[in-house]
Amino acid sequence: MLSTTRFDISPPQGSGWNVAAACIQPLYNLFVTAEEVVLTVDLPYVEQKSVKLKRSTEDSIEVYAETNRKITFKDLGIKHRRGEFTCYHAIIRMPVPVDERKITKKFKLGLLEVHIPRVN
Amino acid sequence: MLPNRSSKDGLKIIESESIPRHAVMINGLPDVGLVGLLAASHIISFLKLREVGAIESDLLPPMIVLHGGVPKAPIRIFAGNELAVVISETVIPVSLIRPLANTLVEWAGENGVRLMVSLGGMAVSNRQDIDTPRVFAALSAKSVESQLNGAAEVLEEGYIVGAYGVLLRNCAQASIPAITLLTQSHYNYPDPEAAAVALTAVNKILGLKVDASELLKRGEEIRLRSKDMMHRTHEEMNRMNKSHEYDLPPLYG
Repeated sequence: MLSTTRFDISPPQGSGWNVAAACIQPLYNLFVTAEEVVLTVDLPYVEQKSVKLKRSTEDSIEVYAETNRKITFKDLGIKHRRGEFTCYHAIIRMPVPVDERKITKKFKLGLLEVHIPRVN
Repeated sequence: MLPNRSSKDGLKIIESESIPRHAVMINGLPDVGLVGLLAASHIISFLKLREVGAIESDLLPPMIVLHGGVPKAPIRIFAGNELAVVISETVIPVSLIRPLANTLVEWAGENGVRLMVSLGGMAVSNRQDIDTPRVFAALSAKSVESQLNGAAEVLEEGYIVGAYGVLLRNCAQASIPAITLLTQSHYNYPDPEAAAVALTAVNKILGLKVDASELLKRGEEIRLRSKDMMHRTHEEMNRMNKSHEYDLPPLYG
């Protein structure tokens, strides 16, 4: 059986709470300029040191970040669903070719901003 | 028992209680950064406003929201302290924006609302670099500017896409004084900080003392809790060409 790779080419459909993986799919945004792709990701309950970025496939970037506390549906007032979450995870397809080796990032108040130069 | 009010647009306002005459109406509908919804929800909770009505329509998705084990309509009206606050816990489909705006303005007119304040966000790409967002106001008439009390900068030119634009125009036609307050915010991330700034402006305009610190203290929780609503709102904003707000109007005076 051939293995398949799933891509997220737009912000996640549905609720984006992956109970099996204990991961939350974060909200993110992509902005393309003439020189770079700017990716922002909203990561409440995350500290800068736990953010990991890597090239996932030829044209996608993977974002992973552990939360600084365990988050449960119960914490959010939901009683009928069970699940606890300790991370955010997203695989984000780049809309244009980029050079991920020259990534720069900044992080402020749980908002990650990544600048990825375009390859021309 | 109060009669249900049905508008010709297929919406029905079901009132359990009348709102006071000459109240100020505040709208907190899902929009950019969920600024209005977060700010209006906080006003309801801080001032302990009572639920006095709901808006129902066959045009809305068939859904209810459970709160405290009780089924509620997603679009509801709360009242108290000479305020009537409308919030929506569901995305307003583009097709429902005009009917909703028509119904709300008609209802405001019937109830003698003295001022309508709609709370929304104004997306800025460098939001994370802005410590104190600016607040802008679009007015139904020049004469309303005196009611701003310096809380916001008046918008002179530009587009407003979505419910707040239609509400403002309808209020202008119905001679109901109206202010659309737009606070700089993230576009598609819930922005409780911007909501807190919007509340400060509302306090100044209406002479209220709503403490916004809870929005900041619980900011991370609010952002996570509102994530799914923001996602759905983002999809609807794309459908209504919200980005049109960045365009310049071609006419000049």
